[in-house]
Amino acid sequence: MKELVEYIVKSIVSEPDKVSLTEESGDEGLLIKLEVAAEDKGRVIGRQGRVAEAMRTLLRVKAARNDTRVRLEIV
Amino acid sequence: MKEEQIEVSATTVEQAIEKAEEQLGVSRDQFEVTVIREANSEIIGTGNEETVIKVELLATQENNTQVAIETLETLLRLMEIPSTVEVSGNEARISLDIEGDDLGILIGKHGQTLDCLQYIVRLIVSQRVKTWVPLNIDVCGYRKRRYDSLDEMAWRLAEQVKIRKHSIILDPMPPAERRIIHLALTDHPDVITHSTGEGMDRRVVISFRRS
Repeated sequence: MKELVEYIVKSIVSEPDKVSLTEESGDEGLLIKLEVAAEDKGRVIGRQGRVAEAMRTLLRVKAARNDTRVRLEIV
Repeated sequence: MKEEQIEVSATTVEQAIEKAEEQLGVSRDQFEVTVIREANSEIIGTGNEETVIKVELLATQENNTQVAIETLETLLRLMEIPSTVEVSGNEARISLDIEGDDLGILIGKHGQTLDCLQYIVRLIVSQRVKTWVPLNIDVCGYRKRRYDSLDEMAWRLAEQVKIRKHSIILDPMPPAERRIIHLALTDHPDVITHSTGEGMDRRVVISFRRS
């Protein structure tokens, strides 16, 4: 699941080496935590959260096909 | 993934360029060459002295299309959606169509999922080629059919406005769809259009043109 986020995020940030992702599974499905360099935070969230929302939408498509749920948290 | 910038070494600049053409799979006119180090012709064959060039792909339509296809294919593979990407139309805009079975999941309600996918692809491609690239993504011709039916609907509603001489407010639509309505009726002699409302609730209004 996190490979999808990783590909998108590393393609749009200025410091791909500082991207870190963790996956935790819990009662409410999978939780992906994303951390990026401070100056890249705006890019992965986007204006009015548009980039983050688009990533969540694509994650939901993949999760639905695998019959699971997934959440993306940007820390 | 194809790199936008590579370094190639060979004995002469000309040979290095030929090598770069092969590695990138594009012709000479699609990249820019900077000579980093040129071999001293007097000592060719005597040691490791080599010519090194840096090659940067130019942001041509052809390259941008290639980058867009690769980006979309990678995303679809990571999303585990069996499908193929085809280039549809070759106007000023890059248009890609995703073909496959049962792809409704990629379209979503009112095409919202497709809009997200298109947004992410635009973002990644722009970042990779360092310039904003206008590109459209469709799923099994969904947008084309939707736009054609919007165009038809616009004319049908305009006729009603003309007969009843009162305005019609349409359902909320995303910007690209509102644009289709405005464009369809821009030269209509009897009606004018404008949009009202904010964000997700923005709607087109078709009104009678009083002369």
